[in-house]
Amino acid sequence: MPRYLPHAILIAVIALLAIISLHVGIRFTPSAEVWRALSQGGDDQAALIVNTLRVPRTAVALIVGGALGLAGLLLQTATRNPLAEPGLLGVNAGAGFAVVLLVVFTGTGSLSLIALAACLGALLCGLLVFSLAFSAGGISSPSYLLLAGVTIAALLSSGIQIVIVADERTMEELIFWLSGGFADRDAELLYLAAPVVVLVAAACRFLAPTLDALMTDDTTAEALGVPVLKVRMTVLVLAAILAGVSVSVAGPVAFIGLAAPHLARLSGFPGHRQLVPLSLLAGSALALAADIAARFIIYPSEAPVGVLLAVVGVPMLLYLLQRKRLGATA
Amino acid sequence: MTAASFAQRAHPVRSRIPARVAILVACATVLCALALASVALGSSGMSLQRVLSAILGTGERSDTIIIWSLRMPRLAMAGLSGLALALAGFALQRATRNPLASPSVLGIVDGAALGVVVFLFLFSNDANALTVSIQWQPLAAVLGALGFAGLVILLAARTGAPPLRVILYGVALGALAKAGVTLFIVDGPVHRASQAAMWLAGSVYQARWADVQVLAIVLGVLVPLVFLLARRMDQLQLDELSAQATGLPVRATQLMLFALAATLTAAAVSFAGAIGFVGLVAPHAARLMLGGRAGVQALGAALIGAAIVIAADLAVRVLFAPLEVPAGAVTAVIGAPYFLFILIRAGRVHA
Repeated sequence: MPRYLPHAILIAVIALLAIISLHVGIRFTPSAEVWRALSQGGDDQAALIVNTLRVPRTAVALIVGGALGLAGLLLQTATRNPLAEPGLLGVNAGAGFAVVLLVVFTGTGSLSLIALAACLGALLCGLLVFSLAFSAGGISSPSYLLLAGVTIAALLSSGIQIVIVADERTMEELIFWLSGGFADRDAELLYLAAPVVVLVAAACRFLAPTLDALMTDDTTAEALGVPVLKVRMTVLVLAAILAGVSVSVAGPVAFIGLAAPHLARLSGFPGHRQLVPLSLLAGSALALAADIAARFIIYPSEAPVGVLLAVVGVPMLLYLLQRKRLGATA
Repeated sequence: MTAASFAQRAHPVRSRIPARVAILVACATVLCALALASVALGSSGMSLQRVLSAILGTGERSDTIIIWSLRMPRLAMAGLSGLALALAGFALQRATRNPLASPSVLGIVDGAALGVVVFLFLFSNDANALTVSIQWQPLAAVLGALGFAGLVILLAARTGAPPLRVILYGVALGALAKAGVTLFIVDGPVHRASQAAMWLAGSVYQARWADVQVLAIVLGVLVPLVFLLARRMDQLQLDELSAQATGLPVRATQLMLFALAATLTAAAVSFAGAIGFVGLVAPHAARLMLGGRAGVQALGAALIGAAIVIAADLAVRVLFAPLEVPAGAVTAVIGAPYFLFILIRAGRVHA
């Protein structure tokens, strides 16, 4: 197989999905009108729908999906655990909790502050879950890592519930944001998010040989000259930045981070030089597909995209749990 | 082991029986105190004397109305749902021999919730009114809970999974049920959606006597069944072969306990919503404080479970009034750290 075939296929799929995403919704918009709206703007109904609703949500899905896909790969590599992902590990919940605290107690609307808080929350929560799992059965044991993550997520969502009812002013807005999805999001944050995602992806590409070594085992990695703890921490920080940025744009979205790296591995390339861009692309494609499907599954209402992702993600999770390779004891 | 050491071991066990009674009485006393506090405290505080005379029917008319039609049903609902969830958790922990098992982590709570929203979705007409009696709602919750409990059992049996993996199956299926609940709420009528969100978070805010009555009748049937199975639960504590050797039909007993736990959970969830972690914490507290036979522990767990939910409901009223924070949020804040604690301990023992 040519080296860049999977990349090409995914890019083609993404382009196709993006085009579909611009055309469909409650009303179908013909291509001529979409093109006119994109090229000339205007303020007739079709142009407004395309330019203020569909373009932003397509862009959000592209960037957030990519960020989550890559974050999932990084967490899976750092823990050598095929079930790791920002949603299940409570990293998204940490970002969400930090943002809720910031908004409720300071009332700030500054987007960069919100993004910063989300990244910090994600990082702290990630560290907490890692250390909890580590003191239980080791972070590579899927059960302990996931149970610690899921419980921390449950704890934080209760915390959010308590904080949120205390402040009715911001409640509605926050509840919408916390529902997680790509539609009607603040697309202005993308000017901040997109460069961050690109930078992190470049850093990961640069780190690829180190990540490959990390996938072996601690002793081998050390022997190959990889400072395991340092690299793990770096990778966790990178994953937290990606998760934090995507949560601050789209709210917590689960399961893309789980599915995208596994989809990328279907290409057969084991190395991170390929897996990093492929996970990014697969995440974008998944997010776009889910966002499009969400518009139709209970037409004319729109389904929350998290529901669709759970319907795809949970069977996948169950399948991964059943595989013998995970280790018989945990 | 010599006869002397047997005697030494036997002696403290016998002398602990009154201690157990004392602990149970203490639990019951705490429960009563919490109940009185819960009736006395609210948007308008009352002195104990006013409360007592209102309960006895000799107090002022307004006090009597506040207490009998607002606070008492809420108290009864909190107590009964806590009791049901605690017993469900107890049965699950015994059936799976897994200290981490509880109705919420095994996805049974979410299954029951899914049953309820599907019921509301299927039997609502265009005017948002139910086309069948609301009395059927608990049945829908039971079906949902049994369905998801069945799925967990199937997955666990098919793979012969180790205990922790079984919990993860529950977590995953719970996520699926939660997604289904969200979908039906979004697709449903808007005013019902906000109601459902409140209910899902686990709250006894809007309890009515009619609901309390139904729940009490259901529990009147189910709770004796738990105690009838107490002896079997003791046998089940042995390893599988020994349990079989004592003449226990292991699989059948486990299935019965699962079904009983699912039904108890559904009964609580259909009225009080998803109050999490009570089913986890209460049986542990009972085991740590009482030890001994399953029957005694079940009794203790029931008392503690009722006390936890009443205390959580009291806490949200005193701390956050006039805001209505769901009681489930408070139980999770207490219960989740405890879950992490036993998870870490289980991991250390395993290693």
